[in-house]
Amino acid sequence: MIELVNLTKEYKNVKAVKNLSMFIERGEIVGLLGPNGAGKSTAISMLSSLVEPTSGDVRFENSSIIKNPSKFRKIVGIVPQEIALYEDLTAEENLHFFGRIYHLRGAKLKQKVEEVLEQIGLSDRRKDVVKKFSGGMKRRLNIGVAMLHDPEMIIMDEPTVGIDPQSRNYILETVKRLNEERNMTVLYTSHYMEEVEFLCDRIYIMDKGDLIASGTKEEIKKILSSENTIAIKADRFNKEFLDALQNHPSVNRITIGEREVLIIVPRAVNMFSEVIKIAEEYGIELVSVDNKAPTLEDVFLHLTGRALRD
Amino acid sequence: MVWNIIKKQGLLFLRNPQELLLLLALPMILITILSTALGGLINGGSSPISINVAFIEHGDEQREVEKFLRDIEEQLPPQAVEEVRANIEQMLPITIIKESIFGNEEISEFIEVDYLNVSKREDVLNNDEYTTLIEVPENFTYDTLTNLVFDSGKVPSLILMQNEGQQVGTGVINNLLTQFQEQLTLGEFLGKNQIDMDNLQLTSDVKGEIVTINEQEPVSSKAYYTLGMVLMNVLFLAGAIGSYAFHEKQIHVFDRIMIANVSRWSYFIGVLLSGTIFAFIQCLIIFGFSRVVFGVTWPDLTAFFLITLAFSLSVGGIAVLLVAISYRINTETITNFFTSIIVTLFAVLGGSFAPIGDYSKVIQFLGNLTPNGASMTAYLTILRGEELLKIGNEILYLIGFAAAAVVIAVLCFPKRRLSQ
Repeated sequence: MIELVNLTKEYKNVKAVKNLSMFIERGEIVGLLGPNGAGKSTAISMLSSLVEPTSGDVRFENSSIIKNPSKFRKIVGIVPQEIALYEDLTAEENLHFFGRIYHLRGAKLKQKVEEVLEQIGLSDRRKDVVKKFSGGMKRRLNIGVAMLHDPEMIIMDEPTVGIDPQSRNYILETVKRLNEERNMTVLYTSHYMEEVEFLCDRIYIMDKGDLIASGTKEEIKKILSSENTIAIKADRFNKEFLDALQNHPSVNRITIGEREVLIIVPRAVNMFSEVIKIAEEYGIELVSVDNKAPTLEDVFLHLTGRALRD
Repeated sequence: MVWNIIKKQGLLFLRNPQELLLLLALPMILITILSTALGGLINGGSSPISINVAFIEHGDEQREVEKFLRDIEEQLPPQAVEEVRANIEQMLPITIIKESIFGNEEISEFIEVDYLNVSKREDVLNNDEYTTLIEVPENFTYDTLTNLVFDSGKVPSLILMQNEGQQVGTGVINNLLTQFQEQLTLGEFLGKNQIDMDNLQLTSDVKGEIVTINEQEPVSSKAYYTLGMVLMNVLFLAGAIGSYAFHEKQIHVFDRIMIANVSRWSYFIGVLLSGTIFAFIQCLIIFGFSRVVFGVTWPDLTAFFLITLAFSLSVGGIAVLLVAISYRINTETITNFFTSIIVTLFAVLGGSFAPIGDYSKVIQFLGNLTPNGASMTAYLTILRGEELLKIGNEILYLIGFAAAAVVIAVLCFPKRRLSQ
């Protein structure tokens, strides 16, 4: 359906996106994952025909979106990272405004507004001005606006930033439902691994403008097939214990939390007995030591040496 | 689409009481304050300037006349002496200045003359309240009469001491004395060429059409400051619309509009019409307030609506231009600069605070280049009872101004963004 071919965007002294190539098939949910500043939003802006790339092309049904954006714009809905709504207008007025710019009118516009309000769960708040909404409600309306003209594809740029877990869950369920019920194609960017893992069939991982990995969830996790992640839990850790782990020859990487430490070790090494021994040596009362299934977070850590939310 | 943008803008204004207060209540308050405080500048009720003149004679005109008459008896034949004696009252320069000039009813309304003794000279020079000190040197009348009758070549002079801090007043006195001098020179010329005054006056009896100039309706201070404040404050509306539009860009609403395949022309026309319609409504509300509270009425409603519409269109043009520039430079600086500096500059040049007719031709020209200045000229023309045709240039200028603003806006709107 959509193909990005060697897409590059250069600003004055920065290459925001470097030779990005990816594709999205009809009916897929594709995740674009990366930390802040990875180039996800720039890539999305080029894909949605808002920013002209420095080089490369975006192709939709064998024609260039860069040269002829009109056809693609008709079938795409964009959910920007920002709350792109009029805060002084009501939910209904916002939907009416954006519905009209998509040339909906009369009974059809009314029906679509009703439908969208129902889908995003804001029917009973339709007459309230947006500035009175919670962050989650604003995010839901932000998505609703992009759905008014029944797009075949929806591009969502970090749609759950800064909202409560209930609203986040509501949004994720809505996206899943849209995909399942309407076969809607979704490009979903996030720096939350769990969202991408929950929603997406295929994933692209970006860092510092580069595409560093791509594939299905399983394919990406196989990157870690030669390593194990061990989660060590305790009420408290001391410096000596952490230093000993960090300096252990079998520990490839370590992530230190308040009550949990993750270590990545070669699969061939039995690290359990080693961890217990070091804990005893430095007086740490362990709560648990588990072999953790690899997550995308682990993959990102493995690929970049940094956590996603660093 | 365009109507949708206008409706949205209207709702945003309605939901923002602070903005409404600034756009509507502020001008109403300013009209009340300015028309009361500065009414004297416009109304005939009190003089715009007050001139104090000190007049000191070093000689005595009566004695100098007597001396002159005695002297000519020895030099002229008796018949000529009798003729001079008979007309001497009309030849006395100081008397003419005192009675015909400063004694004139209209002039005495704004010029107060103190006839003082020579001993007060120093006091006058040290008193800043005096605009001009006129000193008549000794033998001024004698020398004037001698020069008139015998063409002695000895031209006497009055001494004028002027207060540099009161330039308008000193200019008025200079003009009056120059006129007096011209009148005196004309009298001298007629006398020497033996032209009878009566013959000269015949020319005014030549039959023909009598054209009365400058017979215009006066403009009250309330009407003037209603215009001034409306024309200034409506400019702020362009800034407000520019500001809303830039906010639309910042929160990516504009991206949504572009992705919906809305052409930039539709967007510009939406902004232009929003600016025009809301400026028109703002004008009507404030003019309506002025009509109800101050009784400011318009002699020609068609002309009034035409000027208001043309001015509103130019405000819409400014709004489009501000939007385009702020999108281009990706900052709201231009809108802030417009509302904080340009509007004030336009207001001063356009005569919102004081009539610019008193200033130089350059200022008047610049003032008429501003949309509010051109509109002020047109409104005042109508208020003074002139006909619709007289404001044609201003109306065309305002329409041209709006068109130029839109064209510049389109040219400077960023092109790198993909559009349909």
